[in-house]
Formats: sequence, structure tokens, C-alpha cells
Amino acid sequence: MLRLPQFEVVAPESVADVVTALQRPGARVIAGGTDILPNLKHHLGTPQHPAELPPVLVSLSRVTALRGVALDEAAGVLRIGAGVTLSQLSEHPEVQRRFPSLSQSAGAVASPPIRNMGTIGGNVNLDTRCRYVNQTHFWREALGGGCLKSEGNVCHVVPGGRNCVAAMSSDNVPVLISLDATIVQAGPEGVRELPIEEFYKADGLAHTNAKPGEVTTELRVPLPKGPRRSHYIKWSVRKSIDFPLVSVALRFDLGEDEATVAAVKVVVGVLGSKPRTLSKLDDVVGKKFGDPAVARMVSDAAYAQCKPLENVPYEAAYRRDMIRVYTRRAIEALAASAE
Amino acid sequence: MASDDAEREATGDGIGEASAAVGDEASEQAERDRVAWQLGKSHRKVDAMERMRGVTRYTDDLKLPGMLHAKILRSPHAHARIKSIDSSAALAMPGVFAVVTGQDFKIPYGIIPWTPDENALAVDKVCHVGDGLAALAAVDEDTANAALRAIKVEYDVLKPYFDPEEALKVRDREGTINPYSRKGNVSKHVLLEFGDIEAELARADLVIEGEYFFEGTTHGAIEPHCALAHVDGGGVLTVWSATQVSHYLHRELAKVLELPAHKIRVIQPPLGGAFGGKSEPFDLEFVVAKLAMKTGRPVKLLYTREEVFYAHRGRHPMKMRHRTGFTRDGGLLGVDARTILDGGAYSSFGLVTTYYSGQLMCSPYIFPAYRFDSTRAYTNKPACGPKRGHGSVQPRFAMEIQLDKASVALGLDPIELRRRNAIKAGEKTVNEFQVGSSGFLECLEKVERSSGWVAKRRELPYGRGIGIAGSTYISGTNYPIYPNEMPQAAVQICLDRSGRARVFSGANDIGQGSNTMLAVIVSEELGIPLEDIRVLSADTDLCPVDLGAYSSRITLMVGNACLDAAQRLRRKVCESVAKRWGVSRKRVTLAGRMAIDREDPARHVDSAQAFQWAEADHGLLGETGSYNTPKDRHGEYRGGTIGASPAYSFTAHVAEVEVDAETGLVEVKTIWIAHDCGKALSRKIVEGQIEGSTYMGFGEALMERHAVDPAHRGVHVGPSFLDYRMPTFLDTPDLEAMIVEAPDANGPYGAKEAGEGPLHSSIPAIANAIYDAVGIRLDRLPFSPQTVLAALRQREERERAGQLAPHKPADRESRRSA
Amino acid sequence: MSPAAIMLSMTVNGEPVQVAAPPHWTLLEVLRYRLDLIGSKQGCDKGDCGACTVQIDGVPQLACLTLAIHAEGRAVTTVEGLGLLAGGVHPLQDAFDRHTAAQCGFCTPGILLSAEALLRKRGREVSRAEVCEALAGNLCRCTGYTKIIDAVVDASRVMAGANTQEAGRGE
Ligand SMILES: Cc1cc2nc3c(=O)[nH]c(=O)nc-3n(C[C@H](O)[C@H](O)[C@H](O)COP(=O)(O)OP(=O)(O)OC[C@H]3O[C@@H](n4cnc5c(N)ncnc54)[C@H](O)[C@@H]3O)c2cc1C
Ligand code: SF4
Ligand code: FES
Ligand code: FES
Repeated sequence: MLRLPQFEVVAPESVADVVTALQRPGARVIAGGTDILPNLKHHLGTPQHPAELPPVLVSLSRVTALRGVALDEAAGVLRIGAGVTLSQLSEHPEVQRRFPSLSQSAGAVASPPIRNMGTIGGNVNLDTRCRYVNQTHFWREALGGGCLKSEGNVCHVVPGGRNCVAAMSSDNVPVLISLDATIVQAGPEGVRELPIEEFYKADGLAHTNAKPGEVTTELRVPLPKGPRRSHYIKWSVRKSIDFPLVSVALRFDLGEDEATVAAVKVVVGVLGSKPRTLSKLDDVVGKKFGDPAVARMVSDAAYAQCKPLENVPYEAAYRRDMIRVYTRRAIEALAASAE
Repeated sequence: MASDDAEREATGDGIGEASAAVGDEASEQAERDRVAWQLGKSHRKVDAMERMRGVTRYTDDLKLPGMLHAKILRSPHAHARIKSIDSSAALAMPGVFAVVTGQDFKIPYGIIPWTPDENALAVDKVCHVGDGLAALAAVDEDTANAALRAIKVEYDVLKPYFDPEEALKVRDREGTINPYSRKGNVSKHVLLEFGDIEAELARADLVIEGEYFFEGTTHGAIEPHCALAHVDGGGVLTVWSATQVSHYLHRELAKVLELPAHKIRVIQPPLGGAFGGKSEPFDLEFVVAKLAMKTGRPVKLLYTREEVFYAHRGRHPMKMRHRTGFTRDGGLLGVDARTILDGGAYSSFGLVTTYYSGQLMCSPYIFPAYRFDSTRAYTNKPACGPKRGHGSVQPRFAMEIQLDKASVALGLDPIELRRRNAIKAGEKTVNEFQVGSSGFLECLEKVERSSGWVAKRRELPYGRGIGIAGSTYISGTNYPIYPNEMPQAAVQICLDRSGRARVFSGANDIGQGSNTMLAVIVSEELGIPLEDIRVLSADTDLCPVDLGAYSSRITLMVGNACLDAAQRLRRKVCESVAKRWGVSRKRVTLAGRMAIDREDPARHVDSAQAFQWAEADHGLLGETGSYNTPKDRHGEYRGGTIGASPAYSFTAHVAEVEVDAETGLVEVKTIWIAHDCGKALSRKIVEGQIEGSTYMGFGEALMERHAVDPAHRGVHVGPSFLDYRMPTFLDTPDLEAMIVEAPDANGPYGAKEAGEGPLHSSIPAIANAIYDAVGIRLDRLPFSPQTVLAALRQREERERAGQLAPHKPADRESRRSA
Repeated sequence: MSPAAIMLSMTVNGEPVQVAAPPHWTLLEVLRYRLDLIGSKQGCDKGDCGACTVQIDGVPQLACLTLAIHAEGRAVTTVEGLGLLAGGVHPLQDAFDRHTAAQCGFCTPGILLSAEALLRKRGREVSRAEVCEALAGNLCRCTGYTKIIDAVVDASRVMAGANTQEAGRGE
């Protein structure tokens, strides 16, 4: 079999105890295990020290406090515990009703059994992915000794590059960013909440701003204040199991007339290590959502601003073209269904 | 409860029919045709339920006391000479029991006796990433893995060759990949010519020239290879292996381990799929055997999924150039084919593949001239071999697109074009194969009708298309892999007093249902239901030799052997019953767990009583049956026997697709498949083979890709089920399987193969449907969206330049204005 | 050699089980190699194929990506629990058998557990599309899926019929 390296597992019952347990050198969190275990089976260690395997895994399996989805009308947010599984999230009635794009993205991850295991906390902390790194130790040895993100010191995607550009491949992260969600991190220095958009950085080795010993406890998604159209686009070769190759989250807030675009946020994933929030969409605001120009402007902007890399196993040029096509089509379909 | 149902399903009105046959004096064949109380029904498989309940033990489910676990050290280099291997540190580790290297296996082997060109572990050099060179046995897998890392290997890295054409140019020893090759990197070359191809092409009204590339694909059986070995106190080595060719494994083990064959027992436990991927010995079997011999303990080795990709033996990438000549009215005049096969590092079945790439193209169409020139190259890649539809899926792709191109050029309906050229029963192919039965025309008609072909050809809008392709396949080959005059198949059947039968067969059930097929035959002949029949298969100690599950040989060959034995027993039983009743043997029939008097159906005894009477008359009831192939079905030329079969199956596929011209995505909506299997012995099993084959072709057409990355030292592009994308439930089109029965005189009850043929034409049918949808020819596999887009753009340019008329112009016009 | 094993308690197919396993072992290894419940298969060992699907607290999950420790205190159902240990043949197994939906049968245990969860959740006849959605994490290389879909739909019909009969009897 594909053996796991040896490690110890501790399973505390409270967030505080998790934080304490994470003080041990090299300790890592395990939630659903659907990302960390394949990586460990591939002998991929901690992001900062890829060749070093964790001696201890801190399991969230007994931290019941992380498992709820709660509508907090007073604070105007939906609180999603980090331990909520993707199936629960996708099928949650409030999520389906208020955040269709999030229900779609959670329901688009991997496959049904993996969605039953994988958590949203694990998903937002999902390690970056690359065709040259998500392989066995043996394979990487055959490649010539791995790369920056494993045992080596070169990059095979950007030859000569000193920075790893492995792909942020989470289906939910672009959506959460598009919805202006915040992420709650508990750590030795206390609890902090930050916009999830600021949680990511362009470094494939350490692509989040999580501080040492921190654990994600919650995602908070602000409730829409008015009419909204949102959608998550995922394309992969197969309709199940595969990671996304094209990943775009769309959010249009409309005016009271349910027709005029009041705000727009579009976030694209699977580029480099950080999702990209499209800029220069101001011209769209004030236009009628059904105006074909909206779909055209947004999709053109997506094309202009997004440059997929050969980091995932599919042709980058094609993926770039498809970001435009799928974005335009999704907006057209949203507009048509709204009419 | 389950079994009662089975009886009901299978019995149906059979008994009634049997008893209605009063006073019939016809031959036994006629009697069988009428009685057929089991044939052609659907059956519960004899071994499925316990697989589904988690009881059946596959190879990795076996566990022996004191069992050790073995692992193989694999080469990280695509091409290198081994300077030294130092395993002392590994051997010194606690929990490590023994190490073996290529030095322990210096005798080369090969599934084809003429090309023994690989060693169980590399002796002097490694020839692809993942080639095995050392192995060890330890208390558990973790210990074994840790010890592998302690083995020190020094390599001299050599220049690797990933492009077959480049490899073929090499003449020097240094660049010769395979250590046993005497002709540089030419693994096999075949040039055969029939009729005068140049003359036919010269007189043709239309010659279509095309170049095609078929990407490599692999089997993807869900069960990884696994083997377990044990040497008993008497020195007999038993190897349990997930193999589909126990007999060849047995022979090669004897050869490489230098043990007499009778000191080796090979058992194939129930198998989790194979598709050709388990049809020859692999390193793991030799390794566990040797390690068990060295340590005296049972040793098991289970491949990781990645290792399965390195073992491979999958579909050869082929580059094909075809020139095909036609008369004005669509008559096929000749085919001139040049093919380069990318063989990988070892021969495997490559000699046969090279022949098959040409020999199997001479049907289902008849034409007067043919030439094929096929060259198989060694390259620094995992070896290619037989995958479902061995050798002919690739050229079939080229051939059927050529026909489609011709039908467009000639303004003929492509089904009509195929009909005009269809080979008929009793005809001889241009390469002198004798075709017995042929249901090809009926296959064409069935898919034409069920798909709504005629209307759809006219009415489908731009972006939607429908395509046809046809094919043929063998039901086993006329000659076994190693020449001998013994039967190609043999079965032994014993009956006992309780009314049951035991069937001993060397044949490998790999999930295709061959054990059930044998039970159906025995049931049909001896009148007992399937649940009263035990099939013991693929154990070289208990069962007669069978050559294995390849070339779609089992139903025809082992089925015939089984029928032979069963009929002998049937005669004995009927005779004994007739004697007791004082009637003629012909009046007694066996069905529904009874012996019945045909003329007085009220008179019957149960099977147990009938068997007891027969045992009293004859002694213990046991018979053997054998089958050998007719030797007059092929031409007398070198290679003329390869690809010749006792009977040929025929298939036609119609695929309906939708092509998204903006994304390049091809969505296959439905595939209609009609397959002539001669006679369906068990209906749902045949349908399952048709559906499974078509599914596999569909995956190859759209998404599967087994290749190495030449820019990155020849690493596999993704040796996992994540990166090697096989269609899921959500990706697979509707499959409409239809059975056509053109019984063949050489098949048991007329039966021919069904397990491989229905793969072939699914791929060109999809390609041809894509052409119908948007007017582009995809001559390379897989049909990925970017290749579709590139082809569409090319077409648009040519349309703009006025070189091509728009495709389906009327429809596009109307949509534009709408 | 392996680090010290730890003692785990879980319910497997309705029965309490105590089993020792090293912390880096997966549930699949414990089931197959410690408890000899070999019905759960291994095809890829990393989440790509679904052959190892079991139910944990009634929900289909992949045993190859579940640490054995994570099954502590939980109820695990394997394919043995579906028919064999329940004393017979599950209607799904019966339907698979009638439709010859298992060819090599290697994917079947995982598929049965995914399918059982679907039928339990719906409690009625299911559509072909629903079956495909629910089974999309389980690869089958033999069947082309057609007969599996036939069998699951058929079983859902049989089971829905049985439910109404039972309900009728209860009154
Ligand atoms: C075959 C396959 C296909 C997949 N396809 C997709 C896909 O299409 N889209 C997709 O998005 N993902 C996919 N995944 C990845 C994975 O299943 C999901 O991202 C899942 O949500 C990860 O969650 P988890 O709970 O299993 O994470 P784990 O594996 O437990 O953890 C993942 C990472 O997050 C960290 N972590 C987990 N929880 C926390 C926390 N609360 N606080 C801080 N750090 C934490 C871990 O330390 C680890 O580094 C796939 C996985 C497989 C095996
Ligand atoms: S982007 Fe470069 S450094 Fe990062 S994982 Fe891929 S190959 Fe390695
Ligand atoms: S073995 Fe678990 S998903 Fe393949
Ligand atoms: S029946 Fe063989 S893999 Fe599904």
C-alpha cells in the first residue's frame, strides 16, 4: 500500500487544547484528512519545511465546538464552524438559500465520499498543488530530486524561478473571498478575525498568513443586504473526483430594482498560489445586469487579468481561454434566470 | 432465496418446451436448439454474490502464518547501466529477511517464447523509470520501505529515447535500449502484402491518405497486482497471483527459478479486473517466489497503484499512415498501412501486437489488395502489451475514419458504404483468413435503426452529430503462444450422487464471467441449475491446463472443451435413465433438475437419481473434454497464423455527440452498440461485456493518456487514478447494447467472443460523430477540448479562405438569424 | 518497525470491537489486516477510486483516508455488515446479482455502501441521475456503469415496495 510515514496523533477536545498541542515542534492539524493524508503518503511535509514530516498530528475530530452552521442575524453573518463537512455545508438550507455559490462550490469538491469527510476548515487551509509535487516520493526522485516545494531547489513550472507558484486549488476559497467572508484564527496569541482575502499570499510553500500554532475555527460570511446573484464556476476534465482546472466565483449585488448592478466581485482560483480578485470592474456598476455588456466586460477582464500556469496537469493557454468563456456564459445564464 | 430466483429466471418456460418436444427424432443439435433451457437466458453469476458480500478472497485478502512483505526497488532513471548495488545495510536492518537482485534471476523470460528479453529484476541496466532492480522481504511494509532506502545503487546514466522514430535510428550498442536486442531498437518489423496494392490504388477513383496517432492508454483494473508465495515442507512452491494467465506464469516461473514445473503450483484467486494488464508474468511473482525460497516464509507483494502504471503492458501508442483506395461507388480497393508502434522497454506480446496491427484489419470489409508495414520500436518507457482489443484498436481508429472520409468525398451514406463492402459469411479475407459466420450487416442495421440514423443524419443541427464505425475481432487465435500439439483448451467434469457437478478448468475468470459461462454449458447439457455446479478454475494443481484469458479465447475454446465433456456425460446419464425406463436414449432429456421422458413428460426422476443410475452403470462419473482449433483457417505464409481465429465477432457502433464549438468539449450523449457474439450463452453477461468495452473505448477517446514526459527525464505524466482520468458515473454516456447472433459452426452453440470486440469501433464512431457535428477530423487521440478547438480554428480559417464550404450551412444560417 | 500500537474501541458492523493499531494506520488497514474484514478493497490508497468506501455513522467515507484513530468511538459499517453479518443478502446485493452489476466485483463493496446510503436517505425509488450523482466517487472499470445504475434503481423500487408493505402490516 501507499504507506503513511509514522507519527503520533493527539485528539484534544477543545480549541484551547488544540492550540496547546500545536506548540509541539512540527505538529500539524488534521481535520478530514483528505488533503493532508494523501500528501503525507507522498511524503510531503510541512509547507515551510517540505521535506520534514510532522511527528505529531493534532486531530480536530473531537472538537465538537467547530461543527455548527449558525445564522447570526444580529451580527449579520452566517457562522460556519471549521469542522463542518463540505456535504453539510453544501446541503445546508440556509447556505443554499442565501449563498448559492457557496453551496455550489462545496458541492463541487472532489467526490461524494470525500465531501462527507473533508471540512471547510481543511479546505481553506488546503495545501497548494502542482503536477510536479503531488506525486510519490519516488516519482519526485525520478524527476531529479523534487523541487522547491519538496526535496529540491528548482521550480519545474517556472524554470529558474525562486518562488513556488503551486496552485491554490480550493473550490471554496474563491467563493468565500467573493462573499467578503472573514476567517477566525485561534492561536497562542489569542483569537483574530481577518478578511479571508488577506489570508492568502503568493507563495506556494506557505500560501496563507496563518501564524505558527494557529487553527482556523470559523468562517463568517456576511448576509446579503439586498438582492444578489452569485455563482461558482468549476471546470475539470471529469465531472467528479477532479480538482478544478477553471475556478471562478461570481457575485453581483443588485439594487432594489433587482436589475441594476450595485456591486460586483469576481474571484478566480487555480492560477498561482493566491486567488485573484478581479480589479477594474467599476464600469459594470450601474449597468443593468441583463445588459450583455456586463457579461462581456467581466469575462474580458478575467481573461486580461488571469494567467494560468502549467502548474496543474492541463494546458494553461486553454484554461485561460476558458476562464473567459465560462465567466461570460455563467453571467448570461444568471441574467437569463433572473428575468 | 437468491438461488430460487435464479432458477426461475433461467428456467422460464424451458421445461414446457422440453416436454412439448414429443416424438422428435431429430439430431442432438436440433434437440438442443429447441430445449435450450439455459442458453440465452440471464443468469446470476456463479461467483458474484460472495464477492459482493465480502467473503471472496482476492489475492491481497490472503494471509499466511509468518507472512513477510516484499517491496521492489525501482529505477529513477529512464535509461542507465547499473554499476553496483550494495544491499548490505538493508539486509542488516532488523526485520529484513532477504534481498534479491537481478543476479538472482539471470535467465531472461518473455511471454512470447521467441522474445525472451526481460529479467525479473534488471541485471545490467534499467530501461524505464520504474524498472525494478532489487527487492527484499521484511516483517511489514514499513520496514521493507525503510530498507529499500538503505540499498545503495550506482548508475551510469545513459541517453534515454522516448520517441520511437528517433530510437529506431539508433544503431550502436550504447543506444540500444533492450539488453537482449540484436537489431538496435527494432523490436519487431512485419511487412506483408496481399494482392497488388499499387495497382489497385492506381486504378482507384479516390485515394484517401491520412495520418493518425493513437495515444497510449492503460488498463486501469481497480485491483492492483498482487502475489503471494509459499514453499511447503515438501518443497513445492505455491504462487497465488492476480494473473490472467496462470499457465504461462507457471512455465516462466519454472524457467527462471530453474524448478521443475511439477514443483510449482500457481493459483489465481478471484481477480479484480485485468483487461490484458495481468496477462504475463511480472517482477512481483518471481520476487515473492524467490524470496519465499530464500527465507522459507510466505512472502506477499502488493503493487502500489503507481507500480501498476510502471508494469503497464497497455495499449501501444501507434503512428499510422493509411492510403485507402475506393471506386466511385464506394467499393474498397485496397489499404496501404504504415505503422510505428511505440513498444516501451520490453517485448511483452509485442511480436503479436505488431502482426495484429496489420492482420486484423482485413475484416469486416472485403477488398482485393492490402499491404502493411509495421515496426515496433523499443523506447525507454514502461513496456506496452495487450490491452482489451489488443493490437487492432489503434489501426481500427485509422481505418474507420478513412472510410468516413471516403463517404463524404463520394457523397455516400457511411453506413451504406460499409454495407457495400461488408464481408459475408464464408468469405475469405484478403490476407486469407477464413470467415465463418458474420452478423456484420445485421449489426449495421441494428445500430442504424435504433439510433434513428436516417433522420438524424439530416436533421441534427450544427454542433450535434452522429457517427458510425464497424469492427471485427477474434475468438482466440488458432495457435497457442508456444507451439505444441496438445489441445488449446481442456475441461474436466465430475458428477456426484447428490446431483451436482464439479467443473475443473484452467481458465482464468477475470470478472468477465467465464466461470459462469462454463456453468451455463454444464447446466444446459446436464439439466441441473447453476447453483448445483461448482466451477474450480485456474489452479495448476487441480485443473487441466488452460492458456489463459487473452485474445478472447475462453468462451469459444474452453466453452467447446466443456461442451465436449458435458455431452459425454449427458449421453451416459440419458442412457442409464433410458435403460431403467426401457426407452431409447433419445427420449430422455435433462432439464430443470430432472431427467424427463420427452414423450411422456409426466415420467421423470430428479437429477440425483439419474446420476446415481449412471454411476451404477459406469462407475464414478467423470469426463474430460478437449478443444483444438481448426488448422485450415489461414494462409500459408510467414505470420499467416497470427490473427487467424476459429470465429470472428462483429461490431457496429453509432455515437451521438454534442460538440461545444466555444469550449471544444465533446459530450457523448449515447452510444448504440450492436455486437455479433454468435450466440449469447448468458445475455446480461454479454451485454455487460459490450457496455464495459464501449465504456473503455469512450474513456480512451476522450480523456485517458498513458505517457511519459520527455522534458522531465521520462517520468510518467501521472501514475495515479487522479491524473490518469478514467470516466466516472457522471461522465459516461448512455450505452445501448444490442446482441446480434450469427451462430458460428466453430463456437459452442455458435458462440463467439464478446469481451473485446465491442471496444474497437466506439472510438472512431465518436470521431466520425464529431466530424458530423462540426466538420473537423480528429486524427489524434485523445479528443481533448484544446485539440477540438485548434481543429475548429483551422477549419474556420480554411472556410474564410474559401477552401472549404461551411459545415451544415443551413442550420448555422438559421441560427444566426434567429 | 512500527511504533507502539494503541488500543481503539469502535463499533464495527454493529458489534463492539477493540483493536490495537499504530497511530499511522488507516481504518482500511485495520479493517483488512487486523480485523480480517477483507470486503473493503484498496485500489489507489489515496482517495481517487472509492474502492475502500465504508460507512462511518451511516455516512459513506473513504477508509484509506481515515486514520484508524478517527474511528474511535464510532460506528463503522463495511460490506460484510450489509448482507453477511446481517444474516443474509441485502436487497441491493440481490439486485446487483440479478443485473450482473458486479463483474470482477472489486469496486462493488464500495459502491454498495455508497448506494445504500443514498437509498436510506431518499427512502423511495431513485432516479438514474441521482444514482450517478451519489456514486460519482466510485470508479468501476468493468461494467460501464449501466448495469450498476439498473440495479440500484431496481433495488430502490424493491425496497420502497417493502417499506410500504411493512407500513401496511404495522397498521
Ligand atoms: C481525490 C481527491 C480529490 C479532491 N478534489 C478536490 C476538489 O475538487 N476541490 C477541492 O477544493 N479540494 C479537493 N480535494 C482536497 C480535499 O479533499 C478538500 O480540500 C477538503 O476540504 C480538505 O479538508 P480536510 O478536512 O479533509 O482537510 P485535511 O486534510 O484534514 O487538512 C488539509 C490542510 O489543512 C490544515 N487544516 C485542516 N483543518 C484546519 C483548521 N481547522 N485550521 C488550520 N488548519 C487546518 C491541515 O493541517 C492540512 O494542512 C480533493 C482530495 C482528494 C483526495
Ligand atoms: S510550482 Fe515549482 S516549486 Fe512549486 S511545486 Fe510546482 S514545480 Fe515545485
Ligand atoms: S482505495 Fe480509497 S479511494 Fe481508492
Ligand atoms: S466490477 Fe470490476 S471494477 Fe467494477
